[in-house]
Amino acid sequence: MTNEQLLNEIREANLSYLVLVQNLVRQDRAEAMVRLGLSEEVAEILAGLTIAQMLRVAARNVLICRFRFDDALLWSLLTDHGANAGTKSVHASILMASQPLQDIA
Amino acid sequence: MSTTQALGKPRTKSVIGDAREVSRAVELIRMGARLQVLESEIALARERLLRLYKEVAGTSPSKGMLPFSTEWFMTWQPNIHSSLFLNLYCGVASASGIDRVDALIRAYRLYQEQLDLSGMDEVLSITRAWRLVKFFEAAMLDTANCRDCGGRFVVHKYEPTRAFVCGLCDPPARAGKSRMSGVASSRVRIGGAVRKRDDAFS
Repeated sequence: MTNEQLLNEIREANLSYLVLVQNLVRQDRAEAMVRLGLSEEVAEILAGLTIAQMLRVAARNVLICRFRFDDALLWSLLTDHGANAGTKSVHASILMASQPLQDIA
Repeated sequence: MSTTQALGKPRTKSVIGDAREVSRAVELIRMGARLQVLESEIALARERLLRLYKEVAGTSPSKGMLPFSTEWFMTWQPNIHSSLFLNLYCGVASASGIDRVDALIRAYRLYQEQLDLSGMDEVLSITRAWRLVKFFEAAMLDTANCRDCGGRFVVHKYEPTRAFVCGLCDPPARAGKSRMSGVASSRVRIGGAVRKRDDAFS
């Protein structure tokens, strides 16, 4: 993959993320915060971006959203297909829902 | 509209406010809420709530008291479901302009969606979920973080929680043997006695 293709992929991912955030927040702000893991302040900022602003933000050379669940136990629960799959799935859900919403400093 | 609305339950005067209360009541009834939940949360006269209930649910509301004990939330499976719900509730309720009913409905929808994806049956009814929130607000129940997994779980208030380990990291011997494989029955075993899973007197 050429460098230009990589940059394109990053831009696409950024843009998809921003569009998703805007759709979710417009539909239901409170629910969107839980789904996205964003505080109200961040959700409001992203939802208020114009199309021109979104394009500009998306066209950076880095991804604008961060990895949300950086917990080894959670990943073993999420990827395990062994016994008690239902319990593990619910345990993972609790761990994900226990996380504080991402705020800006 | 405002967070104060659910507290004092003032009668709404505006037509729009009235319509909003009706739609929230309908949503709660569809989710299976008992009449008592509506009476305490929805700013409509009791007779209207009753009519609404019959129209939406197709039957008269069941009589009898609501469960009032905090113990149910401490038993193994209910505690897991309650903890999931309460975490979702707190996330939703952190949005501004969201009152108790708004947060309850949204969090319960997320809870149902989550269980559906996990292929499990609902254990926490909307009425139980409402009681949970009330107990939490009244500081009868609290949350503690599990020492092993870090997840946030429902516990009794004033329980020592420094070395708290959740029921999923340290399940009791028989837990999950009969029903956690995805095919859940509608019965919950509590302390040796089998009782039907409902909102009956506990």
